[in-house]
Amino acid sequence: MKDKIFGVLQRIGRSFMLPIAILPVAGLLLGIGSSFTNETMITTYGLERALGDETVLHALLVIMNKVGSAVFDNLPLIFAVGVAIGMAKKEKEVSALSAVIAYFVMNTAISAMLLNSGQILDNGEISADVLQGTIASVCGIKTLQMGVFGGIIVGLGVAALHNRFYKIALPNALSFFGGTRFVPIISTIVYMFVGILLYFVWPAIQNGIYALGSLVTGSGYVGTLIFGLIKRALIPFGLHHVFYMPFWQTAVGGTMEVGGQLVQGGQNIFFAQLADSADIVHFSADATRYFSGEFIFMIFGLPGAALAMYHCAKPEKKKAAGGLLLSASLASMMTGITEPLEFSFLFVAPALFAVQVILAGFAYMIAHMLNIAVGLTFSGGLLDLFLFGILQGNEKTSWMKIIPVGIIYFFLYYFIFRFMIKKFDFKTPGREDDDSETKLYTRADVNARKENEKTGNAGELQPDPVSEIIVRGLGGKGNISDVDCCATRLRCSVFDAKLVNDSILKSTGASGVVHKGNGVQIIYGPHVTVIKSNLEDYLEKAPEEEKKQTKAARSIIISSPMKGMASNLSTAPDEAFAEGMMGDGAVVTPADPIVRAPEDGEISFVFDTKHAIGFLTDSGISLLIHVGIDTVKLNGEGFEVYVENGQKVKKAEPMMKLDIDYLKENAPSLASPIVCTELEDNQKVRLLKEGEILAGEELFAIDIYE
Amino acid sequence: MQEKNYLRLIFMNNQKGYRENMKEFDYVITDEVGIHARPAGLLVKEAKKYESKIVLSKDGKKAEATKLMAVMGLGVKCGQTVTVEITGADEEAAYEGMKAFFNENL
Repeated sequence: MKDKIFGVLQRIGRSFMLPIAILPVAGLLLGIGSSFTNETMITTYGLERALGDETVLHALLVIMNKVGSAVFDNLPLIFAVGVAIGMAKKEKEVSALSAVIAYFVMNTAISAMLLNSGQILDNGEISADVLQGTIASVCGIKTLQMGVFGGIIVGLGVAALHNRFYKIALPNALSFFGGTRFVPIISTIVYMFVGILLYFVWPAIQNGIYALGSLVTGSGYVGTLIFGLIKRALIPFGLHHVFYMPFWQTAVGGTMEVGGQLVQGGQNIFFAQLADSADIVHFSADATRYFSGEFIFMIFGLPGAALAMYHCAKPEKKKAAGGLLLSASLASMMTGITEPLEFSFLFVAPALFAVQVILAGFAYMIAHMLNIAVGLTFSGGLLDLFLFGILQGNEKTSWMKIIPVGIIYFFLYYFIFRFMIKKFDFKTPGREDDDSETKLYTRADVNARKENEKTGNAGELQPDPVSEIIVRGLGGKGNISDVDCCATRLRCSVFDAKLVNDSILKSTGASGVVHKGNGVQIIYGPHVTVIKSNLEDYLEKAPEEEKKQTKAARSIIISSPMKGMASNLSTAPDEAFAEGMMGDGAVVTPADPIVRAPEDGEISFVFDTKHAIGFLTDSGISLLIHVGIDTVKLNGEGFEVYVENGQKVKKAEPMMKLDIDYLKENAPSLASPIVCTELEDNQKVRLLKEGEILAGEELFAIDIYE
Repeated sequence: MQEKNYLRLIFMNNQKGYRENMKEFDYVITDEVGIHARPAGLLVKEAKKYESKIVLSKDGKKAEATKLMAVMGLGVKCGQTVTVEITGADEEAAYEGMKAFFNENL
């Protein structure tokens, strides 16, 4: 159970990687764009000529700024879709569409509730008594500010609904709406109610956060620490803007008289002092305490964490993880945008995020205590450090103190992260387990499977007879190039239309089959989407064949050693055989006690338990004739063998006699796999007969390709 | 180009060096039905993972571990001892892998 929860968490973490990958680029655009378009900055350095309002460069920077913001402003939607795609098991595109729909539905439901309750006025404006920042416009919908969490609620929920319902079969009259088409429908309904519910729940969360703000104004160094801790902890909720803006921009963050004017808010005070810098001895660290510490962990600390994650990545994944971590570190160092880096470990290892919050919180306090007063426009990257620290001179900003503290922070982050990742085996980027590992069946697995079957819980790998027959009717997996469906028809493209067998296809419940060149349409009715999903599942699992079948140079025929029912090897009730682990071939369920030599050849060996015979045909094929399933446990009981090791036999000569009644009673199945154990890569088995078969009748052919 | 050939030569020599010290272990089968079809299939699959040549022997009869028929033909039963010989470039890995496999499955 614990493993299962962990596995799900890991998948969630991985599904965040797709949306996170866009953040570094957006961060750089936003950071560069906003730093160089800041009016105070431009006037302070007299850059009106180069970067002033009318210049081409300014226009370009504004565009960069806007494009970067577009990504950050719509991050919740991007996460909703990205997570839904990552978490959906199949038909991912449907879950993406459903997530978009659900996201709009949820926010619109919240918006309507806000309108009903008068928090949004009829003219579309936000009521004056609403706390500022708690209602925001998301994709044009005025809704509760839920940040990235709003998107994640949608992504995870929609993916769960999708995985549950994408194969649903509805009653015939409604079956057009079945299968994947049902997912957007159910998502719409569910998220309408989720929206209503959030309207009641979320404000409580928001109010709690806002109330924390009053704690900080208890002031002093401890107040700065609390501010830092809260601001960093709010990042994943997207609510940090709600929290810090008052400190930067309003009287909550303090007031000061600069150049005869009363200025409110930490950031405003800094820029007022900057404009009046000729008269200032040292900028006020009391004003900059809400941001000066950011330089310490954004330029030094977090890149240390990134280096630790890189060093902890698996060797084969270092390159990929390194790319992500390097670009995320650059975004943090250059522009002070930390989300790309923080999100890379936040979801997979919340404990690391706790470390980050604590270290970063102390950075604000340390900067305050050391009287570091470096201002910023937007965030604590190198750009702002250069403009508002270095260029202002160490006398006024004490920016040089950032460097020794920063170096200590780098090592702190590096060693703490490295230690914790190793110790708790956090799945940070590059440490994920491969979930698509091809797994060897060990005895433990087989036993576990059997236990499952006994309790009537057959697990995921259930045989899918309908899809199997469809594939056979279409001339085998190798003959299918494409599968799609419309309202009632399964539309397939095949490589060779001659291999398609209509009667087999009709036996799957189709009401008709239409051919058009290499296109085959099988008419099922509205439940076709379910059939299509199953078929795609089946094709994915089915063993690979040669895509382009060249003509076989020659074939060796193997005949059935007994009378009974012949069928495809994959129907063997034993996965070691069914999956072809022992070799390819066929299954015959005997109806007659005598097992005969399938071809002229030699007995390679007879098992002591008599239940299986190794056979080498004169045509050079090694065969294993294994009578029944799990018959090794009968210890020879029920078998009488007429041949011995090394004996030459002629086709149809009796080799063994079975006590069919005894076997039926004591073995799990009489189905007898007949497999070629030593096939070369260019030898393929082709089943020749299915259903009733006589001993000596052709069972399968081995096609040998050049 | 020449350098590469030179490296290859060293590498090949090393391989030869490995070949001289073969690794082997004995294993007493504890699976009550012996190496019958399924375990033999698993064994072959495991053995094919390695580059090294792996030979099983029992009572003087030898079988290459990658040949299913040969392995089954040994007719190994519960309580009998199989000797596993491993020679080749990755014999360390193969030795550990095969030993673990026998312990777990046979």
